[in-house]
Amino acid sequence: MRELSLNILDIVMNSIEAGATRVITAIVESPSRNLLQIAVRDNGRGMSDELARSVLDPFVTTRTTRAVGMGLPLFRQTALLAGGDLRIDSQIGKGTTVIAFMQLHNLNRPPLGNIVDTMMNLMTASPNVHFFYAHLTDGGRFCFDSFRLFSIMAEHDCSIYEAADRARQNFENGLRRIGARLF
Amino acid sequence: MTLQEIVEAIGFSVLSHGEADKQVRWAYLSDILSDVMAKAPKSALWITHQLHENIVALAYFKGLSGIILPEGNLPDTETLQKARAKRIAVLSTSETAFDVAGRLYLLGLRGRP
Repeated sequence: MRELSLNILDIVMNSIEAGATRVITAIVESPSRNLLQIAVRDNGRGMSDELARSVLDPFVTTRTTRAVGMGLPLFRQTALLAGGDLRIDSQIGKGTTVIAFMQLHNLNRPPLGNIVDTMMNLMTASPNVHFFYAHLTDGGRFCFDSFRLFSIMAEHDCSIYEAADRARQNFENGLRRIGARLF
Repeated sequence: MTLQEIVEAIGFSVLSHGEADKQVRWAYLSDILSDVMAKAPKSALWITHQLHENIVALAYFKGLSGIILPEGNLPDTETLQKARAKRIAVLSTSETAFDVAGRLYLLGLRGRP
């Protein structure tokens, strides 16, 4: 995957597959700590320790024994190459947290890519899931969640797609305001 | 060979011209940027599937003569603007990286001094 937002999309899709009703995506981008951390936390059905280990093993037959593909092993490979790692914390019936961290200034760290479109596409495609997005930099914090889309829908009496179009600018400005430079 | 001679012989589409008269004897193929940083010979032509602007920064920093994008890949807009500004050649072709490497080898380029 050439952009980290594609990895994020992949993980969040796993969360939706797992029946999550709430998915939190948190990005920490800190030049001072030379850190880029991506965490996705859901309240889906969760995994046993054995399954959580197997989703990181690329040799476990994909698609037959489990619903997830090669996304996590590849994402972990990316994190390792960029001086970091990926961890999974999961509890049956409670949910799953995937945390990938890497060196922000590592040559092998891919760009974040278009995180705004990624989040908007997720929110419009699964309106029944509550998405919460947080982005922290050395310069501040930006948050966005599905409810903001719903209030735009109510205010302008428009569809969720139009609401997403209206929200895009706000999302981008918010990221710019805190000095996020990972587009 | 000069960059110009290679470009003419190989017939890939030129997105950024680079320094036409630069002597090119080496080529390097990798998508792992830290590898390229550590091992690419000076003035090498670099074959990669990566497309973001770090590739131009790296090529400029290492003094590479150009970047070849296989599989019909096209660079991001910013990447191309930077490449033109820094006079780094960028070529694009529908051929695979393997075939691109073979073509360069037949032209007499090698992987390391």
